[in-house]
Amino acid sequence: MTLKETIGYKTIAAWMTAEGRQPFAFQEETWEHILAGRSGLVNAPTGCGKTFSVFLGALIDFINQHPADYQTRSGSGLQLLWISPLRALAKDIGRAMEEVIRGLGIRWQVGTRNGDTDPNERARQKRRMPEVLIITPESLHLLLAQKGYADVFKPLKIIAVDEWHELLGSKRGVQVELAVARIAGTKAGACSIIGISATIGNLEEAKEVLLASLGDGLQEPAGEHGFIVRAVIAKPIEVESILPDEIEKYPWAGHLGLKLVHKVIPILESSRTTLIFINTRGMSETWYQTLLNVCPDLAGAIALHHGSIDMELRNWVEDALHEGKLKAVVCTASLDLGVDFRPVETVIQVGSPKGVARFLQRAGRSGHQPGAVSKIYFLPTHSLELMEAAALKAAMEEKLIESREPMLLCFDVLIQYLSTLAISDGFYPADLFTELKKTYCYREMTEDEWREILHFITAGGVALQQYDEYRKVEIMENGLYKINSRRVAMRHRLHIGTIVSEPMLKVRFTSGGYVGVIEEYFISRLEPGETFTLAGRNLELVMIKDMTVLVRKSNAKKSRVPSWNGGRMPLSANLGMMLRRKLDEASQMMEDTPGMMNDKSGMIDGTSGEPDIELRVLRPLFQLQAELSYMPRENELLIEQIETKDGFHLFVYPFEGRLVHEAMAALLAYRLSRVTPISFSFAMNDYGFELLSDQPIPLDDSNVYELFSPEALTADIQRSVNSAEMARRKFRDIAVIGGLIFQGYPGEYAKARHLQSSAGLLFNVFAEYDPNNLLVRQAYNEVMDQQMEERRLRNMLERVSRGKMVLRWPQRLTPFCFPLKVDSMREDLSSEKLEDRVRRMQAQLR
Amino acid sequence: MQPAFPYRIREQQLWLSPDRCIYWEEEQSLIVSDLHFGKTGHFRKAGIAVPQSVYKEDLLRLLCQVQYFRPRQLLVVGDLFHSRENKELSLFLKWREDFPDLGIHLIQGNHDILHESWYAKAGIGLSRETLSVGPFSFVHDINDIGGDAGGIDGHAASGKGAYYFSGHIHPGIRIRGMGKQSLQFPCYYFGSDYAVLPAFGRFTGTVSIAPAPEDNVFAILPGILQIQ
Repeated sequence: MTLKETIGYKTIAAWMTAEGRQPFAFQEETWEHILAGRSGLVNAPTGCGKTFSVFLGALIDFINQHPADYQTRSGSGLQLLWISPLRALAKDIGRAMEEVIRGLGIRWQVGTRNGDTDPNERARQKRRMPEVLIITPESLHLLLAQKGYADVFKPLKIIAVDEWHELLGSKRGVQVELAVARIAGTKAGACSIIGISATIGNLEEAKEVLLASLGDGLQEPAGEHGFIVRAVIAKPIEVESILPDEIEKYPWAGHLGLKLVHKVIPILESSRTTLIFINTRGMSETWYQTLLNVCPDLAGAIALHHGSIDMELRNWVEDALHEGKLKAVVCTASLDLGVDFRPVETVIQVGSPKGVARFLQRAGRSGHQPGAVSKIYFLPTHSLELMEAAALKAAMEEKLIESREPMLLCFDVLIQYLSTLAISDGFYPADLFTELKKTYCYREMTEDEWREILHFITAGGVALQQYDEYRKVEIMENGLYKINSRRVAMRHRLHIGTIVSEPMLKVRFTSGGYVGVIEEYFISRLEPGETFTLAGRNLELVMIKDMTVLVRKSNAKKSRVPSWNGGRMPLSANLGMMLRRKLDEASQMMEDTPGMMNDKSGMIDGTSGEPDIELRVLRPLFQLQAELSYMPRENELLIEQIETKDGFHLFVYPFEGRLVHEAMAALLAYRLSRVTPISFSFAMNDYGFELLSDQPIPLDDSNVYELFSPEALTADIQRSVNSAEMARRKFRDIAVIGGLIFQGYPGEYAKARHLQSSAGLLFNVFAEYDPNNLLVRQAYNEVMDQQMEERRLRNMLERVSRGKMVLRWPQRLTPFCFPLKVDSMREDLSSEKLEDRVRRMQAQLR
Repeated sequence: MQPAFPYRIREQQLWLSPDRCIYWEEEQSLIVSDLHFGKTGHFRKAGIAVPQSVYKEDLLRLLCQVQYFRPRQLLVVGDLFHSRENKELSLFLKWREDFPDLGIHLIQGNHDILHESWYAKAGIGLSRETLSVGPFSFVHDINDIGGDAGGIDGHAASGKGAYYFSGHIHPGIRIRGMGKQSLQFPCYYFGSDYAVLPAFGRFTGTVSIAPAPEDNVFAILPGILQIQ
């Protein structure tokens, strides 16, 4: 029987027709796979019916199984497990599902389970599992920490993993892999796994990772391993740069772009609703304030949305967006995911989005009317960033979308997972090892490593036998690994998860009312009476009490904008490559028409053969760069050496993203330090890096190729001074996930103060007294794989060594080095002083 | 072993050991602070697998210092033990048995919460707040001394009154070089009215201090280096 002949399909199709809808081809394709019990991946963007591609398929299957009584059957147990990375999504998805269920008159229930679910609801679910459970990876692991969890999954048919592209490449993705493997394990593979993913560079691999634990159990034609259904939905995207009127006066360095605010106002006015994406929470606060200052009429019509704002306020903003009540929302990545806001017509991206995929995703948040164009503006925060707009456009045209690399051998997540299983039903190592070896993350794990992990959780590594009281996982007489201490179990439950945040404090009004959260680091530097900005409000610090910051409203004109230390995103490899190509085009342009002054009039944008408008606008900057130093071609690496009163600077511009540059800087510093005893400090951005020393840097034409050689790369990186420091930083997350550090829950551990220690201290202790500890090793591995991006670094060195090195000794700071120079000063100076200094330096340049 | 660094104050001869304790020659006393014995054990009991060799080597280091300086007594300016009794403390008691003639006097710190009888059993003399020996006084947290000594940032008039030895803050000194280099080391701090010892236990962090120009600070690199 084909899909369309089934009673389930007919029932669903009839309901859709009544609703004035029609199934998309990709949905029907997915339904067929679901009816056949296959596993695979649905590749579809947000807002085009991806939820229904899986959910309606599950319903069709259910109706087909119970044609006579599908409307009256209740208490069927869990049929569809819906794993979603965001709590906020659960509500909307659940609502959409319930609508269908009501329409069909069936008796399914939809439950959600995440950190916000109240205990009563959990208890209800325990008595009667809903047919659909929408859950976060963390809550899913909490479910695995319950005794008898296998019973819950007995009736389960489908595990759906929503937004898989978001999860893949993170430790939350590894959590999903583990949970899927365990559930599939309890059912001997008798369920299908379906991932839902936006377009990424490695869809095939994404599918392989998700389905790995099904092993050979896939019901597929030979040679194929799971299906991929692609939703072909073309939505035109239009990109436009917001250009400074006089590029000569636009800052060379910066990260806010506020000088262009007057050009944003007309865009807001001419569009129904606009989303303004800002890269960090702190900057979004500043942008929100500035928009209000420049255009007071916007008060009440614009809102602010970021991850540190109170959930209720965020929900309000989202609802208002849906209803079209807002003219604009200043937001961060907090609005990257989730359901669509139909009134949004325009998106403005402030500063580099750092990757093609993110830029596309943000562009896709606008223009939902049928036939509408997604319109996105790019607002550069400093001159050179304009080049990225040109690179983004070209990359979009060529569909150069980034891959998400899956994480491998995350021992910290495994240690946490083993404890999770040990507090529910316990585990037998031999069986579990077989199951783990099927997962993508742990398939390369050796038996030695496995033994080491088991030893770590049962004996706690290096110990003084008779003076030791280590207690975590115990080995029972029958060989079962189990946690018996209730206290250990309780603490573990509170710490299931892989999202490690900076220590945060809640912010409340003295009169009551929650505002949001703020980094302890920031607030600890403020004195009572000082004012700061949060959630778009000026707040006066009254006092800090019991992990809560008490504030009152302030009318102060000046207030500090908090910094959130969150990691700065590096430029993706794809965007880096495009950027180098655009730089090459710019250099070509300068060679072809030397001396020609900037003249925007009379030039026709987009004509073939013409350089991009962004490059033409940047001409004066390139001119100055060429005069002071050099404009490199694609096969050239520019190195500038400049002496200032700070010392001797060496600037290198590989355009590979800050992580690769950090590794490169460490490597170069190490190799130079072998030439002569010398010390450096580094600074890097997405375009290049700087080495600064108090003595001349021994790099010239005679040794430059040797210094950038890809030979002995791995060994040299490992020896480079910085790797211990980088590993120390990585260790913080690992230690928290692996259960060595308990993140502070306000008030929760007041009694356990004697068990507090910092990650830095733990790292020192492990590195010195137990250097072979596998969590320490993992920290170093993560440094190599992610931080150093060794593969990318090697590619870069090979590329450079095939090309030409161009050394220059400019008399003054150049447009290329300027942002780096400014960045490197940031550590020591306050923001105000920095601005003054930047202004002075820029004046010196002219 | 790195040599100890001679330092004179209030006409007394001190030796600053790179192993984080001070030998006071006139009184034949070894001054030591913030050992935090038993800390790894408490972590491990809670399921946090900190390597126990930290503790073992702390004990061994103290043994070496006692054998090297041959002091009459240990003056511990607080936080000898990290918390309540655990098995690790039995190892300390065993260690204690090897030095029956060594006096140990503890000026209690905030972490020293064992029952008085325990200290008595271990042959440890107790002072609740301060102890005075000759020209020197001993206290765990210098901020508990009202008035004449003051905190590390507020310097009172010098030269009069007792000179205090304290611990508690686990002092570290940050050294900055050109080219924005920066390193931090545990250190000895000597102000006009009081000194702060580095933490002896290695499972402890450091908190960086901001000394006044006239203060003396010795970093432990691992050798002793006078910073100012």
